[in-house]
Amino acid sequence: MTASWTIQTEVFDGPLDLLLYLVKRDGVDIRTVPMAKIADAYLEFLDQMKELNLSVASDYLVMAATLTHLKSLELLPRLPTLIAEEDQEDPRETLAKQLLEYERFKRAATELDQHILQGRDVFVRNPEPVASADRPVYSPIDAFGLLDLFYDLLAKQNEEPEDQHVIPDSGTDVITCCREVLLQLGGIGGQMDLRDIMALLTRADHRVVTFIGVLEMARLQWVTVHQTEHLGRVSVIALVAPDADLSQVSGEVAQEAAG
Amino acid sequence: MSSKDGGDVVLFPGLAPWSDTPEDEHNDGEHLISAVEALLFAADEPVGSGTLATALEHPDPIAVERAIHELAGRCASQSRGVEVVRLAGGWRMRTGPAHADAVRLLKGGTPLRLSKAALETLAVVAYRQPVTRAEIDGVRGVGSGGVLKGLIERGLVRIAGRRDEPGQPLQYATTRTFLETFSLTGLGDLPTLAEREELDAE
Repeated sequence: MTASWTIQTEVFDGPLDLLLYLVKRDGVDIRTVPMAKIADAYLEFLDQMKELNLSVASDYLVMAATLTHLKSLELLPRLPTLIAEEDQEDPRETLAKQLLEYERFKRAATELDQHILQGRDVFVRNPEPVASADRPVYSPIDAFGLLDLFYDLLAKQNEEPEDQHVIPDSGTDVITCCREVLLQLGGIGGQMDLRDIMALLTRADHRVVTFIGVLEMARLQWVTVHQTEHLGRVSVIALVAPDADLSQVSGEVAQEAAG
Repeated sequence: MSSKDGGDVVLFPGLAPWSDTPEDEHNDGEHLISAVEALLFAADEPVGSGTLATALEHPDPIAVERAIHELAGRCASQSRGVEVVRLAGGWRMRTGPAHADAVRLLKGGTPLRLSKAALETLAVVAYRQPVTRAEIDGVRGVGSGGVLKGLIERGLVRIAGRRDEPGQPLQYATTRTFLETFSLTGLGDLPTLAEREELDAE
């Protein structure tokens, strides 16, 4: 290839940065930028980037479209009626404002960099490796410090082997739940809606254990379970008295658990 | 019986109060200055005179503040290697800028370096906080998500709740570490945007 090009060594932080560079290079006032000229310069630059096989980010292409649109507005004479109807801000004005604002922050950024920076220009002692939790209570701590503490705690928790899963003790067992169900049913022939039995229990783990208990009792034919229609109500009918010997339940369940 | 009936409540029993009647006031002042120096050397972050007074069990934070000023003045006038400066709402002892290169070599590692993009994003957050990512992107004309994440990891920017608007976007603000890193007492140290506009108009 013999094409002569100028390789831009500047690295641009986005389309506004590039546009600002072009405006400055061509020495035009941001407020009265000749759109046709600056749009051409911008597109030419994008072409160069493509020739260099640099991938052009979509942000740059959006700006290219905007500039081309503004160029067309400048070149084409507009109908007087259209101008009269136009309440909106001149899009060129909008772009100029955006550029001015960006330039202002760019300058603010340069100025920030000129501050005396801790870690570059001045240094402090490295903090003692004290565990965060051991910090004295009067040290000022903000929400972010609390967040750090939280992450530290999480990290500590993760130090435990991951394959351990502790199931909290539900504080009840199948026997107790079976007894409770039989009491609720109130003797042989007593009948109750399974949903109503469940509604008496507030804790999910108790409901699970009770459900298992009902299944177990149905298997042992201590209760019968009826359902008159598909997806309908399920009623539980007691076949034994509440004071029946329930040791069989635990024995069977324990055996199953062991086996 | 409530404790209110028990007369004066002793908050810190067993702590000897700071001597109010020193035999030699000059020596006492010197002692306070050297104590303050020790604390500022040992402190891990900027500390206020109130915190120092608590640690010293000194009843008068104003006297402590005076001692800090005296210490800061001596560090500045006696061409010492360290300086005592007020920043981020407290006092900090740090090495003087004149020795930056040597200290950097001693400490090893890479010095703090912020990219143009990071500085721009930081400037937008500093001036517009609390600010959403969309607003930052709008000013810079380019996506700032990655840069923002880096700033948060460095502790310069923090998440400051959610904006009460559709989508409830996260808002970002600068941290105390930002103030400390950039040698600022508070956000008021930054030139205001109005002052900036005046500068721009010239």
